[in-house]
Amino acid sequence: MIENRSLAQKLDWAVYITFFVVVLCLPLLTDDVFWLNRISKFLVFGLLGLAIALSWGYAGVLNLGQGLFFGLGAYMFAMSLKLKSGTSLQQGSDKPVPDFMVWNAEPGSPTELCCIVPGSWLWLPFQSQTFGMIMAVALPILVAFVVGSAIFRLRVSGVYVAIITLALVLLVRLLIIDAQPITNGFNGLTDLGWLNLFGVEFDPYMYETYYLVAVSCCVIMLAARWLVSTRAGLILQSTRDDANRSRYLGYDVAAYQIFFFVVSAAIAGFAGMLYVVAAEFASPTFLDISFSISMVVWAAVGGRSSLIGAVIGAVLINSIEASVSETEIFKEAWKLIIGVIFIFVVLLLPRGIAGVARDFARWLEDSYLQSTSKRG
Amino acid sequence: MVHRMANILFIGLSLSSILLLIALGLSITYGAMGVINMAHGELVMIGAYTAVLSGLYLNLNLFLALPLAFLVSAGVGLAVERVIIRQLYGRIIDTLLATWGVAILLQQLIRLEFGLSFFGIHVDGLGPGFQSFPIPAFLSENFDILGFTVQPYRSFIIVLTIALTFLTWFLMYRTSLGTQVRAIMRNPQMAAACGIDVNRISAWTFAYGSGLAGVAGVLLAGFKAVLPNMGESVVVDGFLVVVVGGVGSLFGTLLSAAVLGQINGVFAILTNDIVARAIVFGVVIFLILLRPNGLFGFKSR
Repeated sequence: MIENRSLAQKLDWAVYITFFVVVLCLPLLTDDVFWLNRISKFLVFGLLGLAIALSWGYAGVLNLGQGLFFGLGAYMFAMSLKLKSGTSLQQGSDKPVPDFMVWNAEPGSPTELCCIVPGSWLWLPFQSQTFGMIMAVALPILVAFVVGSAIFRLRVSGVYVAIITLALVLLVRLLIIDAQPITNGFNGLTDLGWLNLFGVEFDPYMYETYYLVAVSCCVIMLAARWLVSTRAGLILQSTRDDANRSRYLGYDVAAYQIFFFVVSAAIAGFAGMLYVVAAEFASPTFLDISFSISMVVWAAVGGRSSLIGAVIGAVLINSIEASVSETEIFKEAWKLIIGVIFIFVVLLLPRGIAGVARDFARWLEDSYLQSTSKRG
Repeated sequence: MVHRMANILFIGLSLSSILLLIALGLSITYGAMGVINMAHGELVMIGAYTAVLSGLYLNLNLFLALPLAFLVSAGVGLAVERVIIRQLYGRIIDTLLATWGVAILLQQLIRLEFGLSFFGIHVDGLGPGFQSFPIPAFLSENFDILGFTVQPYRSFIIVLTIALTFLTWFLMYRTSLGTQVRAIMRNPQMAAACGIDVNRISAWTFAYGSGLAGVAGVLLAGFKAVLPNMGESVVVDGFLVVVVGGVGSLFGTLLSAAVLGQINGVFAILTNDIVARAIVFGVVIFLILLRPNGLFGFKSR
């Protein structure tokens, strides 16, 4: 049994290390910056898969509205980058004003960020890039804390959590679309400037940006992996398996659930920020239900109870999708195939690719042990 | 003023009716079998396409399209139950995920014209573009009674919904089939132990719920564009109604469809469509937090 566990762990670490090496060495193999940009977006999606695996696989909380946190993170940071964009500086004011606000403004209103359209003063602090970065993680954390506290303190569980989070992401999506004068509605925030960290400009089509995303992704994966192996992570898994028993043993079940819900939201918010750096836009489509459910699909295909499985699932599915969707008809056919794959995964491989890999490792080990015992 | 109020309430009532038809089917399948059928919206979509296609090729009008769509959607629902859902009873979240796959599959089949578009064949009435379904002239022209504007098509929707709700109530509470369904809702193991053929009854229940979705689809086709992805928003609304009303409670579903439909209708006129929907979602979240079992749900299973 102990042999078994150590082999599973060895396999786990081998996969992590291989993944890190591949991700960090990719730029050495190619000079196609467009392709690298694409991969960096997929790594961001990998983080979303990770966030889902954390809340679904480890906490047993299926969040069908993870796009909410991703979207909030993306919008917060995109606001800062929008103000740094060249298009925001040509409005006859010495301070930046987003171009769409000028188009929406009532004739005669001052071309100042404070009062050009009602509510535009909300943008004022976003002139600081640092403020945008902090808000991109802080706002998802705050929202997740409030929502999580309401859900878990009231002991709402299972499907109802899924329904509430689903309704919530739809609600916020509508609010963003409705606040058209300050969010640019359906069109979202486009024509963004570049992230500037310590004097380095992060052009999305340069190696720097790829490394920013790749390294962040690796660090977050390791941190999440560490977090679930701590005492708190183990208690969380016990609340997933039997909440009442954990409660009976004296653990504050809701506190652990809220904490991990918040962590998962923070990862998604951070991912939103990285996505804006790599993709140069933020739009209400980030809060579409289909996007949030796609994240669950990635995690399910990769393996809902394996953090790296979920990351690999996300990268894999998106890579295949990108390579087949060159033509419109294949793109549609691919969606059909995704539907079929998903049904098969749920029916036949509920533990996803990671489950298959673990079973295979166990089978290898068993046959190895058998052959040695025969020889012995 | 009174007339305007009456009109607003009337539009709200017709919205409630469609919502109720969609939610009725969901309520039955979710309540009886613990299946979250994300493909329910696609069964609505299939109903709408059945109406479009039967109008194009068989020259059927609205009244003949209704039973046909019921049968087609029920058939598709039955097939989905037999092939996929049957293996997932008791794994409620997995049913949600698998039927999401089914939903994508059905949407793409319509969009790709069952794969025929690969061979360059185009079938009228299918494909990614929108289709429309003409309703009979005598249902589309408004007339006035005592100063109140009556919209015959919306009235027809309301009347049909009342009839189907009554039929569902009758089936569930006045027939032996319904008694068996309600027994399965309360406790499937005990029901099986009492000699109820749970598999067979579940399949029939699922088919009936799917059929209702098909009927809702035909009615929707009368005043909305028919699109392959028209089911997406529909299924979410349906679920919110079911959960707010309480799982397995016909009366709860009825009440919650009426309330949510009215909220939507009234606020759509006071503010705009987007805010109205946002308010509905807000109310729903609040209600689920307060009463996770719904307004009239029972604790069981």
